[in-house]
Amino acid sequence: MKVIPMTWAKAVSSCSLDNLPKTADAVVIGGGVIGTSIAYHLAKKGFGRIALLERSYLASGSTGRCGAGVRQQWGTRLNCLLSIDSVRAFERMDDELNYSRSIEFKQGGYLLLAYTRREADQFKKNVLLQQELGIPVSLLTPLEAREIVPILSTDGVLLATFCPTDGHANPFHVTYAYASAGKRLGVDLHTFTEAHEILTESGKITGVKTNKGTISTNTVINAAGPYSGVVAQMVGLDIPFYPERHQILVTEPVDPVLGPMVMSFSRRFYCQQTPHGSFIMGMGDPKEKPGFSISGTWEFLVEMATEITKVLPPVGNLSVVRQWAGLYDMTPDAHPILGPTPCEGFYLACGFSGHGFMLAPVTGKLISEIVCDEEPSIDIHGLDLGRFERGELVIEPSVV
Amino acid sequence: MQYILTSAFASNANSGAYGINSAMEGMGLVMDDGRIKHHPILEFKEGRKVRFTFDGKELEGYEGEPIACALHAAGVRVLKESPELKRPRGFFCAIGNCSSCLMTVDGRPNVRVCVERLREGMNVITQKGKGVLLADK
Repeated sequence: MKVIPMTWAKAVSSCSLDNLPKTADAVVIGGGVIGTSIAYHLAKKGFGRIALLERSYLASGSTGRCGAGVRQQWGTRLNCLLSIDSVRAFERMDDELNYSRSIEFKQGGYLLLAYTRREADQFKKNVLLQQELGIPVSLLTPLEAREIVPILSTDGVLLATFCPTDGHANPFHVTYAYASAGKRLGVDLHTFTEAHEILTESGKITGVKTNKGTISTNTVINAAGPYSGVVAQMVGLDIPFYPERHQILVTEPVDPVLGPMVMSFSRRFYCQQTPHGSFIMGMGDPKEKPGFSISGTWEFLVEMATEITKVLPPVGNLSVVRQWAGLYDMTPDAHPILGPTPCEGFYLACGFSGHGFMLAPVTGKLISEIVCDEEPSIDIHGLDLGRFERGELVIEPSVV
Repeated sequence: MQYILTSAFASNANSGAYGINSAMEGMGLVMDDGRIKHHPILEFKEGRKVRFTFDGKELEGYEGEPIACALHAAGVRVLKESPELKRPRGFFCAIGNCSSCLMTVDGRPNVRVCVERLREGMNVITQKGKGVLLADK
């Protein structure tokens, strides 16, 4: 007997009974936190029939693999404004989306550590900008930082900044909260449904061909995360963008001991303790080449453990439960690309460069405003695709 | 299959010492004096006698045997409480896999005592909750 190999994903997909609609007023490509947020916000505006396509399951890509941080401590005005808006949305999300569970938003703050003089100078500038915009951030001495995080080693720390309203949430819950709220408003969620081709006629969107049939539509929103470049190619659009692997691990849980997300840009790590008690931590690798690989490496395990036990020594007493990797969708200036494109009806919500999760609420709101032809509630003119041709990049100095 | 069934029985700490010992014997783990002889994955010789403390009480065991073996020989059957319902948990998988024997040893939380070797003077504490990370090592 010949055994036909069948992946789990295919098995679930073939069991799915949902039928693709023949037409939709908007098709959102990508069932991560960005796509579900956009679909929800469009539905809330009464945009019409909205279909969301996800080639695997919800939050299966970058969203479900992310470090889940939500911070307002940015180095550019625009990122600050976007994240202030998002934090407000996270604060009231359980109620607004009438979510039956909890998105587990823990506002334990973000503690950013400066280890180099250059970094310390940048932090001082950032704090002035952030305070001007109303973000409750303060500069701390190493000893003051240790009062907030008693397990912190202050070795090498020049100064720190702390914002108590930053924090982290559960990316799966946030995605499901948006998806279920969207569904109640009539959004068609199609998981295990892959966009294969985007149909156009004289530079205008006319439909999307998927593995389950074709949907006629005049509006497509590209929220495919690290695969946004592939989706943009379907309308012949080149976006300056590349995927980059980032690795991450989780430990066994212990009683709450770490309030804030602890982070360093020069040492490229971040570490948080979830409400459940597990520590989640990740590290960027400057040697990482662009690519779609999401395999884990043993080198990461060694490097991460070595680094974090210097910064938070007691964490060395914890066992690692598992490690994994996900993709950042990197742009040259570490800012997202939001808005329309030369192809009429084709919108971009991608290039979040490792902070898409925290920007998801505001992105959904802004994209829904743009698609509905309204003036966006935050001026994001500088985040359009055209900025790369115009050479008007807004470089974000504070990324891991 | 035999192994899984007897293990499941052994995990029920409320079944009393007799039941557990019978189950352990079924697995070929117990000598006549109640001391575990064969471990599923670790080999250990009966080393010198050492003293250690368990919840403040002084106990004796053999150096190099898994801590759980020394506790079992001393009649300790409840090793942990379940995280949500706080039910007693006892010796179960014996290979460091099941989280049924997590204890705090020398200030380190969540030590798998079924595979952690006993040393002189160890301080073994029954863990309440998920365990505590101490600021000063």
